[in-house]
Amino acid sequence: MSELLKIDNVTINFGGLTAVDSLNMTLTEGNIRALIGPNGAGKSTIFNLVTGIYTPSKGRIIFRGQIINKLPPHKITGRGIARTFQNIRLFSELSVIDNVKIGYHCRSRGSFIDALLRSPAIKREEAHTHERALTCLALMELADKAEEVAGNLSYGEQRRLEIARALATNPALLCLDEPAAGMNPIEKEKLANIIRKIKEMGITIFLVEHDMKFVMNLAEKVTVLDYGKIIASGTPAEVQRNPAVIEAYLGKEVV
Amino acid sequence: MFWQQLINGITLGSTYALIALGYTMVYGIIQLINFAHGEIYMIGAFVGVVAVTVFQLNIFIALFVAMTVCIIIGVSVERIAYKPLRRSTRLAPLISAIGVSIFLQTLMTLIAGPQAVGFPQVINDQLYHIGSVTVSKVQVIILILASALMVGLQLIIKYLRIGKAMRAASEDYDTASLMGINVNRVISFTFALGSALAAAGGVMVGMYFNSIHPLMGVMAGTKAFCAAVLGGIGSIPGAMLGGLFLGVAEVGGVALGYGGYRDAIAFTLLILVLLFKPTGLLGRPIQRKV
Amino acid sequence: MDSLLTNYISPYYIKIFTLVGIYIIIALGLNFISGVTGQLSFGHAAFVSIGAYTAAILTTRLQLPFLPSLLVGGLLAAVVGILLGFPILRLTGDYLGIATLGFGEIVIVVFQNMDITGGTIGLSGIAKNTSLSLVVLVVIFTIWSMYRLENSRFGRALMAIREDEIAANVMGINITAYKIQAFGIGTFFAGIGGGLYAHMIQYLNPTDFGFSRSFEYLTFVVLGGLGSIPGTILGTTVLTLAPEFLRFVAEYRMMIYGALMVIMMIFRPRGLLGGVNLSKKIRALKNKKKTTIPSDAR
Repeated sequence: MSELLKIDNVTINFGGLTAVDSLNMTLTEGNIRALIGPNGAGKSTIFNLVTGIYTPSKGRIIFRGQIINKLPPHKITGRGIARTFQNIRLFSELSVIDNVKIGYHCRSRGSFIDALLRSPAIKREEAHTHERALTCLALMELADKAEEVAGNLSYGEQRRLEIARALATNPALLCLDEPAAGMNPIEKEKLANIIRKIKEMGITIFLVEHDMKFVMNLAEKVTVLDYGKIIASGTPAEVQRNPAVIEAYLGKEVV
Repeated sequence: MFWQQLINGITLGSTYALIALGYTMVYGIIQLINFAHGEIYMIGAFVGVVAVTVFQLNIFIALFVAMTVCIIIGVSVERIAYKPLRRSTRLAPLISAIGVSIFLQTLMTLIAGPQAVGFPQVINDQLYHIGSVTVSKVQVIILILASALMVGLQLIIKYLRIGKAMRAASEDYDTASLMGINVNRVISFTFALGSALAAAGGVMVGMYFNSIHPLMGVMAGTKAFCAAVLGGIGSIPGAMLGGLFLGVAEVGGVALGYGGYRDAIAFTLLILVLLFKPTGLLGRPIQRKV
Repeated sequence: MDSLLTNYISPYYIKIFTLVGIYIIIALGLNFISGVTGQLSFGHAAFVSIGAYTAAILTTRLQLPFLPSLLVGGLLAAVVGILLGFPILRLTGDYLGIATLGFGEIVIVVFQNMDITGGTIGLSGIAKNTSLSLVVLVVIFTIWSMYRLENSRFGRALMAIREDEIAANVMGINITAYKIQAFGIGTFFAGIGGGLYAHMIQYLNPTDFGFSRSFEYLTFVVLGGLGSIPGTILGTTVLTLAPEFLRFVAEYRMMIYGALMVIMMIFRPRGLLGGVNLSKKIRALKNKKKTTIPSDAR
């Protein structure tokens, strides 16, 4: 299988702090790749680098053979990378369906003049956006909440809405930043199934997660990060046996 | 010529600085642009006039009276118009502040009439010559008073318990309240300090220009606010620096023949600073957290 | 049309209603910038003044017809808004507000120092071309435009920016481009309102467009309900009529007006119609119709 995303020797400094240090990582198309590590290891920073919120101090990020690390976030989304946020960032005063429709922004057209004129083509486009949004909501089992205000959803529903919104951008790579945080075991199981379903749609998944068990059952390959550096990488079983990982991440009492 | 303009600029600037301090302290703690602050300054000037003309008080006692009256008004305004809105949307207290501002302006216009009121000459017009520079006695008094007040403010904030609480609340409001700081008292105290300084500024401007007006707070307040932003809003030394900088720039601009654009100088500086250093000259950098 | 109206309504009321209409156009423009897109502007009156002076200068000095002059005024306000938007829309929140305030004051000072605007003396001799019926037409057009703009891909992008800039950006929205467009549209309506105002009052003075005026427009919008079209209309109407109805208290009226602003904010901090969304109400009505059909069939 071909490589989708290549993080090539990427470093980022904030003031004196090196949050990510000469990182190399390659994501294979169609896989679920997990990124784990203790708090402050630099996991979310990597997502911010990949999605263009931060620009690397050094190194390149290559997506589908093209360098993307100089592009602004909205262009990167257009290229096919979508993400969710660790600390849910929904458009909380808007309706659930509008949140998802905004996700479809980069796959549709329509200037302010189109908004005023509402030509038949634009009406068709709106109808298509609506359908598309409903499909994404249905996939995340939120279709019945479409007209509710996003801020009124339960915590778990908000996490799923974030995924629905990201899916609406029609991504090739979906970055999920701690999607299971704050969920109970039943919700987590449901989420794992949804993530598998998304994978079956041909979307590559990049997953940052704290919950080891959740990751181990889901990912093909796990990368462990500590202090901005990769300390181990391999199948879940391999990583679990790695002494460096056990020391850095799992803590000594596990041994 | 240069030194003369500099002295004039610093005199004007120190009054801006006194008003700017109130804006910056309040903004530092509750992130509110207190648009009624200019009116407190205006009221301070009027109380000063009444004290020296009607009650025939000494100018320094008049200054003290003006400061006291403005403390009462400033703290009451906070209690009535801002406190109920502390946990509401960002724009609500702003609109409330504009309402207070309109209220106080009209109130003073009703009391004193819409015309300018003369401020009696309370300081004799003695001039001091230092080389080519001429300094009037009023200027000397303004500079000494303003410096004394600013030093006093620094001492309060550095060494007094309530001053330390103010700094803590401005650093992190929620944590400060969790640490057992009585935030309501801190906010009241902040308004009291700011109002006292603005009142002093009002009396000094009255002394300096010999004329006061119910609408004088609008432009002076806005410019002082610019000064606070120039220096870095939330920063006390920043407000002082910003005020002085603005005063010097304005006097300098007029001296260079841009008198017609006098009011634009402050705002042009403001926009330039915002574009190139959005947090102001002495402001702390904002961190973008994702 | 207006001459017909004068048979039924006193000229005084026609004047007041015309003014309310003009303010609605201007306030809806501001609501688009601050309410829909979430970008604080304390300098809206400056764009009104650009439209007012442009239209007035075109009709008085160049003898151009009124309607094209009005349009040019709106467009020029929009162009200035867009040019200003490029550098300053990088700023957020209060900082943006302050920068727009500063810009507004600079515009006033520039007008005071120009010859063609009549400087500090002001510009007089403007023909009375603005009629109540014309204003009503423009108000309807403005409401229609706002409604369509908000309920579109374009409008959703603006609201996304208001809600969370970073998330909007990551959803593929070019934040700067959209903010600038919103600013241009909002300032266009400010300019149109300004042109109408100039040809109603027939005299312009730079001091009529200072930041106190900008705050007045902001008050209309916030008091009515930030982001709500009916809220903005209601807020503008109530606050424009309030001083008229308060005339019986004579000189106390502005004092009461100020106090009312404080009281209304304390009791309805989100505005009279805060959280009420016209388009959502209409959509809900439409949906109700759809869902009631099968129950009727039953």
